[in-house]
Amino acid sequence: MSHAATQAYLNTRISVMATRLFAPQSLDRLARMLLPELAEQFGLTALLDEQPALATRSRVVEQSLLHILLAELQILLRPMNAAERALVLAWGQKYALFNLKTLIRGKLYALDQKELRDHLYDLPPIIRLPHQELFRAENVLELLRQLESGQYHQIARQAREVYEKHREPFALEAAIDQRYYSTIVRHIMSSGDHHLNNLRQLMGAELDRVALLWLLRFRFTYHISPSETYYQLVPSTGVLNREQLLKLANLDSFERVLEALPAPLNALLNGCHSLTEVQQQLHHATRQAQRQMLIRSQSAVARALAYLMLREADLHVLFAIIQGRLLQFPQSTITAALELNEPNTNWAELRAA
Amino acid sequence: MLMKHVRLLVLTEDLPAASLSLAETLSFHPDLRPPTETRLETLPGRDYREVFSQAQARLTKITRLIPLTTPPRFAAVRVIEIAELRTLNAWLGDIWEQASRYEEELRRLDDAERLIKEQQTALENFADLNIDLRLLRNKTRFLEFHVGLLPREHLRQLEGAATLAGYILSTYMQQGENAHVVIVGPAGDKESPLAPVLAAAGFQTLPIPLELDRKPAELQQDFAEQRVNLAAQRQTLHQQLQQWGEPFHAQLSAARHTLLLAEPLVTLDAALRSAGHLAHLAGWVPATAVATLEQRLQQSLTQPFDLTSRDPRPDERKLVPTVPIKSRVLAPFALLVKQYGIPAYGEIDPTPLFAVTFLLMFGMMFGDVGHGAVIALAAIWARHKIPDFYLFGVFAGISSIAFGFIFGSIFGYEDVLPALWMSPLHNPILMLEVALGWGIAFIIVACLLGIYNRLAIGDVIGAVFERHGVVNLLFYLAFLGGGFGLAINGAFGITATLSVIVTLLALAVFQWQHLHAPTGEKILVVVIETLDTIIVYLSNTLSFLRVSAFSLNHVALALAIFTLADMMGSFGHVVTLILGNIFILVLEGGIVMIQVMRLQYYEGFSRYFSGDGHAFAPLRLRRESVIN
Repeated sequence: MSHAATQAYLNTRISVMATRLFAPQSLDRLARMLLPELAEQFGLTALLDEQPALATRSRVVEQSLLHILLAELQILLRPMNAAERALVLAWGQKYALFNLKTLIRGKLYALDQKELRDHLYDLPPIIRLPHQELFRAENVLELLRQLESGQYHQIARQAREVYEKHREPFALEAAIDQRYYSTIVRHIMSSGDHHLNNLRQLMGAELDRVALLWLLRFRFTYHISPSETYYQLVPSTGVLNREQLLKLANLDSFERVLEALPAPLNALLNGCHSLTEVQQQLHHATRQAQRQMLIRSQSAVARALAYLMLREADLHVLFAIIQGRLLQFPQSTITAALELNEPNTNWAELRAA
Repeated sequence: MLMKHVRLLVLTEDLPAASLSLAETLSFHPDLRPPTETRLETLPGRDYREVFSQAQARLTKITRLIPLTTPPRFAAVRVIEIAELRTLNAWLGDIWEQASRYEEELRRLDDAERLIKEQQTALENFADLNIDLRLLRNKTRFLEFHVGLLPREHLRQLEGAATLAGYILSTYMQQGENAHVVIVGPAGDKESPLAPVLAAAGFQTLPIPLELDRKPAELQQDFAEQRVNLAAQRQTLHQQLQQWGEPFHAQLSAARHTLLLAEPLVTLDAALRSAGHLAHLAGWVPATAVATLEQRLQQSLTQPFDLTSRDPRPDERKLVPTVPIKSRVLAPFALLVKQYGIPAYGEIDPTPLFAVTFLLMFGMMFGDVGHGAVIALAAIWARHKIPDFYLFGVFAGISSIAFGFIFGSIFGYEDVLPALWMSPLHNPILMLEVALGWGIAFIIVACLLGIYNRLAIGDVIGAVFERHGVVNLLFYLAFLGGGFGLAINGAFGITATLSVIVTLLALAVFQWQHLHAPTGEKILVVVIETLDTIIVYLSNTLSFLRVSAFSLNHVALALAIFTLADMMGSFGHVVTLILGNIFILVLEGGIVMIQVMRLQYYEGFSRYFSGDGHAFAPLRLRRESVIN
């Protein structure tokens, strides 16, 4: 059977699902919707429940939105083969890793068990890490022993060092993130010829964004040495490869890093003066790359991943609007937040329309 | 078995006692649906479950270090209140905290031993180098050295980071998941700039021994001694652990018993709801067991309770569990039926019919005294390995033996045993007629059962008009009558033709009325479905010809083997016969088994067995702990 035929079902599925993505025109309308309208449109009944505290309602809503995303991920997984599934699951594992970080931090700082449990995402079994044992660990040492005997034994030594030398678990969490992205890159590099270029391109945009933001933040906000900064970065499959990162990490000012960026990042970030501006531009460019991939890619897996990334971003926007409503922010604040999120969108025009 | 839906209202303080009583009677299958009364919304068992789960986890962890050697003895059954469970959990927490220190110490010893092994390997590797390794031990005035190992996957990234810090990294060995490296860089007064990177990379320093100029054998001796020393420390630690744990054995056994007694309420947690002091519990109970259950509750509950029972409503039929047939003889056949599904409530359990028809068809298709005996003996030999299934092999073997006598066949020889009836090859046409007759009877019985099953759940229209219902059966009988007339008199017959047309029209009209689609699509579906009815019944009937085809095949295969054997010398003859019989047993036996299963599942079950029920799983008191 031809490649196009085997991917037909998945491609159709993605095309149907893609209609759920928020069009730029709908964002302004969403931002103006009230809680009951949002609850009705997205089936978020927890929003209307007046009983629990605001934080609880917010968590329930976040969990519901995550369920939507992961349910769609599972639907897209069904027609995929084992290698394709492994890649998409590796992407979805970020939520399991959030849980792992929460658990480690919670145990290191002896947080209350119930509070810790409340902050864990409830994930479907296919995404869930076997962290139940970690959760049941009753002290830090037990947690470390369990880390050493499980699939995260590579970070266990770091975790022990954090505990024994009373260090901030920043490096540990950075190591978890680094492993997450490295795993995705490994899956991409082992994917078939039909998908390789598209996946490299898609994840390249995302990894360029992550690498550059981390680099700027570590070097010029946290003032971490070039060598330590470089160690925490993940070489991208896009333009910020190993050599580029070595060169950039060694530069000593924000401006020099931006000047030294390879094309097309140099043109994109020309004129940016702060990390926030860089973040906005990169976010926008990544979204554009994902949209292009969703529309034009020959690889159904790359399209699926692009869809999931876009959907995730949409659900973040929706969550931000809901948070704003729950916290009773004025309409102008909510709109301003959305404008910051999509800086290149002509909001005035959208409002006029 | 008839079931009742029961609803139990008890005071929350009586919940542990109630759950224990329900578990003891082995007749209560919890109904997890929330009650219709909206005020019953609290989950009274949640705290109990939380405490239980933590206590269970703690006991499991403790018994990993202090194994309980005595098998669990199930002493008196008593109610475990939440207060007792909390006390037990707290005690287990204290014990685990102490035991955890031993575990940490054991881990430290493992780590030390692993490091010594890596050191040994590294020094073996250094042996060929022509440099003074003592220099690597110290920080010199201008240079600092780091000799150690790190996970291989971090190597490339560390190499880049070391370069940025002005260091040189050299990998001298890669072993397993680790890479051994030497890192050299400029020395300074402050902490090495590479230190945080090394920490992030999971770098582990390998200490260089002080007296490196000694002979390699002496150094290895040192390492061996260190390892012996570690082994001694480990043994001492295990002894200390054992001594420390000894006094707790009885208490831990008691704790295990307590948790077993507390488990029923934890299992019920999902089905429990309460409002204030009133707890609600619902479930399914065999009608014959309701009185016993009520009596047991009266004996054990100190506070008043209310137990009401009613028949399942029609809309609840899919929720009612089915009590499986309990028979040692039928158990292996029930396993095969279960592969297809569990009988829905009210549906006839097909296991007895399946067992009888399976054995008859298997015996007829594989009738041979010798082969049957081998199958039966092999099953008896494997009875300890497959205790739940060996009887299946025994019965299949016996059936094969019985048909072997009927056909007069033993290990393929047709002239040793006198046939009680005849060898299949003597009259193949008669064999095919017998198989056809068997198939017709099988399909008619299957349709009748299907009709009964629909009537049993009150689906009269379905029983008459649905697929394999009364009209369908009438069509089949008319079709058979016509076919018989065609074979005997050369004409289908007017009565048969009219009956076929009328029944097919009735089926088509019924389908038309129940289809919700555009007219064109309705026409297409109805025409295809009507045609399909004719094809399916014709092909299903002919499908049973395989029963006789395989009995003929069995004889033919044996003949082929004898022909081959006759072409050999005397030794070759014997070897060919033995190998040939093994071939028949394994290959043909396997194929026959698959064919019979196919006939059962496809021609039989698809007509009368929905298999969409779920098994009765009563609340029970486990006699064995999971930690054993």
